[in-house]
Amino acid sequence: MEMVTEAEVVARHEAARAGGKPATPTARHGEYLTFRLGSEEYGIDILRVQEIRSYEPPTRIANAPPFIKGVVNLRGVIVPIIDLRLKLGCENAEYNAFTVVIVLNVRGRVVGAVVDSVSDVLELGTGHIKPAPELSTKVDAGFITGIGSVGERMLILMDIEGLMSSAEMGLMP
Amino acid sequence: MGEPSPHSAASQGAGIDLSQFFQVFFEEAGENLERMEQMLLAIDIEAADEETLNAIFRCAHSVKGGAATFGFADVAELTHQMETLLDKLRRHELQPTTAMVDVLLESGDALKAQLARHQGSGDDPIETEALLRTIRALVEGGEGGVGAPLARPLAVQDAVSRGACASVSSPAPIVTTVRALVLTVGPLADPRQAENLFELFREIPDLGTIEPLDGGQAIDGVRRLRIVTTTPDAELIDLCTFHVAREALRLEPATEGYGFHAGAPGAPPEPDPPDPGYGFFENAPGGPQGQGDEAVAPAPAAVAAPPVVPGAASTPRTAPSRPAASGAESSTLRVSVEKVDQLINLVGELVITQAMLAQTGKGVDTALYQQLASGLADLERNTRDLQEAVMSIRMIPMSVVFNRFPRMLRDLAGKLGKKVELVTQGEATELDKGVIEKITDPLTHLVRNSCDHGIELPAERLARGKPETGIVTLVASHQGGSIVIEVRDDGKGLSRRKLLAKARERGLDVHDGMSDQDVYGLIFAPGFSTASEVTDVSGRGVGMDVVKKNIVALGGSVEIDSAEGHGMTVRVRLPLTLAIMDGMSVGVADECYILPLSSVVESFQVQPGMIRTIGGSGRVVEVRDEYMPVIDLERVFDVPRFDFEKAADIMVVVEAEGGRAALLVDELIGQQQIVVKNLEANYRRVDDVSGATILGDGRVALILDVGALVRRSRH
Repeated sequence: MEMVTEAEVVARHEAARAGGKPATPTARHGEYLTFRLGSEEYGIDILRVQEIRSYEPPTRIANAPPFIKGVVNLRGVIVPIIDLRLKLGCENAEYNAFTVVIVLNVRGRVVGAVVDSVSDVLELGTGHIKPAPELSTKVDAGFITGIGSVGERMLILMDIEGLMSSAEMGLMP
Repeated sequence: MGEPSPHSAASQGAGIDLSQFFQVFFEEAGENLERMEQMLLAIDIEAADEETLNAIFRCAHSVKGGAATFGFADVAELTHQMETLLDKLRRHELQPTTAMVDVLLESGDALKAQLARHQGSGDDPIETEALLRTIRALVEGGEGGVGAPLARPLAVQDAVSRGACASVSSPAPIVTTVRALVLTVGPLADPRQAENLFELFREIPDLGTIEPLDGGQAIDGVRRLRIVTTTPDAELIDLCTFHVAREALRLEPATEGYGFHAGAPGAPPEPDPPDPGYGFFENAPGGPQGQGDEAVAPAPAAVAAPPVVPGAASTPRTAPSRPAASGAESSTLRVSVEKVDQLINLVGELVITQAMLAQTGKGVDTALYQQLASGLADLERNTRDLQEAVMSIRMIPMSVVFNRFPRMLRDLAGKLGKKVELVTQGEATELDKGVIEKITDPLTHLVRNSCDHGIELPAERLARGKPETGIVTLVASHQGGSIVIEVRDDGKGLSRRKLLAKARERGLDVHDGMSDQDVYGLIFAPGFSTASEVTDVSGRGVGMDVVKKNIVALGGSVEIDSAEGHGMTVRVRLPLTLAIMDGMSVGVADECYILPLSSVVESFQVQPGMIRTIGGSGRVVEVRDEYMPVIDLERVFDVPRFDFEKAADIMVVVEAEGGRAALLVDELIGQQQIVVKNLEANYRRVDDVSGATILGDGRVALILDVGALVRRSRH
């Protein structure tokens, strides 16, 4: 799966950047915003989320990596838009009426993340959070902080702040 | 903040962390020093204005007070010495001299350096010993030089020699104001608070001595302390309030105890009975009788008595000017730049929303929705007014920059042995704070150049039939949407012949037929200097190119005008603000980009065969006998094109950094004022793009960095 290789690279970069520090913070209990990327369901810390908007075509930035869709005007602030589906290697990245942008507040910066759809906000207790499985080098060890299991659902809990500020994303100087 | 405050006692006394106020102190101290410098420069040595002297004194005093509070002992010490000198000046005990003004100016510089060090920019302690010595010498030296007030100080000196003030380290220079005082502190909840005052006297050298009265015991929570000092009353109180609330402090001359014995011999007449000082004493525990007696005990009161009279007389003189000063302060408000910028952003938003509404409103039948139409018209007007008003907050007058030049020219002229006068016009012209900050250095360079290279030595000027004193003129004015700053001098001007010779020597491409403008423009070439001799002021040829680069980076331009033998004028043209600029929007395929209008020279329709190639790939176009590189924006920005029927067939000639290039675009959309937004705030720098803006329809458009594009075409 492409996603794995991509994530692997990200993880390695992040680990290199962190300079040997433990790269994986463990997911804490709290409220998570859940969204879908293709067939997978992810959860991110609700406190990083500023707002959710419908997708509008951004202004393209030349020579940027394909997952950076461009910039939009968010009430006078120029905000870059990242398509997480392209970043995480989903096969389809369509833009339709359900496509939404999660506006995130990461390290004092505002960034928009394109996802297929937002599901809901879940309160996850410590009992719901399982450690991320040891997938050796296969999975994005840097940014997956745990697995949330709620009934039948499996949420991939992601350190969105770490991902967005990673050197691989090239969003921050 | 630079270093931990060595005087944590000050903060302990107040029970709060003072470091949060450091920034305010630094800002205020900076302003005070700035003001002091201006007044020192303006002072007329022959007939010094009393009000000015007082004002200068107050500036030094405020700096000292703050420095003492925050534990910057070096600053406090230097200001204290300055204050001693200034105090004598304002009391007319000394006549101001140029040497004094010089040393005070130098002290101001040292203080700025000290403050900068405390702010963390610089490590070396500032050497002020020499300055302190000079000031002391001036204070002392002036003593004998003044005839009239000599008698009284002598009497004091006599008193001092009798031992009352033996503990004052160097009584000679400061005898005139040595006074013995009784400080009453309280009633305090915790009389031990008064102990902090001893600390204060230990920490500030030259403040004087303090010793406890009443055997160091509080009487009903009231402590009494005996102080022998040169420092004015008001200042002592100020200093003490760092430890003890002002209401609990009362300062009385030590002899005042005697004054209560009505009709005591030699006591001054009491003109106003409701003096609060007396009232306090009457209510004070222990009663006036006891207080008076105890005050006498440790101090031979007769000794202290004579100096009290001049000391006390000076106090009312300074008092009335204080309210005036504080009145002026309250009319301005200190607001952080971030808040103002946020306001500007919000207004920018409002303008965009208003533009959208206006667009939508056009489609509405005004006959049916008359109120809506008039509402929209009102909205438009109000938004525009609001925008102007908000933008004006960031505007500060040019005088902020101009004010630093008198001092600089004075020093420079002195160093070069020239006589130079500075004339400024249009100081009130306002400019965006961001532009002001960036224009200061280039302007400083230009002024320095004028003085160094332009103005001749006095003898030479006289020989040429010019007045001995050269004039450097600074003029700021508005012209259309830009501001023009002129630096003019009546010196020797630029020599066309010399410039051309020099250019040939350096191997630059020049010929005799060049226009004056182009020849004068040569001085902006890197490493170009016509000064026959390199001085430590200028002449190294580093500078003018940097000046031009900085000004161009601000979106401005520089022109030079000169007449050999009569002087030269450098004209700097700048946009009013960095936040708004005139832009030209161009379409490339389906995308829209903005060009700064100031860099657009002309545009034309491309005819078949106009674009030639060089070496197969480099494309050039001939415009008015000049071949310039063609930059295909579609290719540079990798713009996707869906409609292959159309092709980019319009050329926009742009100019930047001395070069020209022709940009190939699809269409010219229009010109408009745009609000420049930073791309790097949430993203990062993008090649060939200087920023972004929001179009009327709410979409983002990128602003092209013409300089970078022109550079790119050269490679």
